[in-house]
Amino acid sequence: MVQRAIEKAGIPTIIVAALPPVVRQTGTPRAVAPLVPMGANMGAPHNVEQQTQILTAALENLVGIQTPGKIVPLPYEYIAKI
Amino acid sequence: MTIVKGLQSEIFVPITPPSVFTPVTKPLKDMVIALATAAGVHCKSDKRFNLAGDFTWRKIPDKTPSDDLMVSHGGYDNSDVNKDINCMFAIDRLHELAKKGFIKGCAPTHVGFMGGGGDVEKFTNETGPEIGEFLKSEGVDGVVMSAG
Repeated sequence: MVQRAIEKAGIPTIIVAALPPVVRQTGTPRAVAPLVPMGANMGAPHNVEQQTQILTAALENLVGIQTPGKIVPLPYEYIAKI
Repeated sequence: MTIVKGLQSEIFVPITPPSVFTPVTKPLKDMVIALATAAGVHCKSDKRFNLAGDFTWRKIPDKTPSDDLMVSHGGYDNSDVNKDINCMFAIDRLHELAKKGFIKGCAPTHVGFMGGGGDVEKFTNETGPEIGEFLKSEGVDGVVMSAG
């Protein structure tokens, strides 16, 4: 909802989503979906390399995605030990 | 083709809202980027979110050291983000990318709110547009969000 509002205000946005079906349903303009649990969307704690990969991929897809509503899966995975 | 108006599915079908899309007009190296997160991130000095539902939002100055940030959110497991705020709000990583010249710079102020439901009407018609106008007034060229 907020992403759509920012987009409506005239700023391109991308969302990093742990739950891609949810953002599809709510009408995201652009999304990337790494293989992460909700609560670590940007990568594992203190994993600088992974966080950088996810943020970099998000930025590249902000520019790269040309089709509204497209969700790009990312190959970065973090399985939280509970 | 025959078109019959007023037909309705007997099973529940989710309705996706019409698309909104603002095209990107610059390369990344010329873009000022803001972060906006629904993860309930805010400055430690700021008011906590009401965990039962809160449509207010917090400004997070870009200069805030990541150790001075915290999360109050009642809707997900906070244990990772309590260890490292960058799990949801990758502010240190954004600073590094700006330093490398991958992006032009970071917005002077970023945005935190508590997503995951709450008053959807308020988020759609008040909070969202307020955040959008604020980021626009900061001269932001693109926003990376973490939510969902």
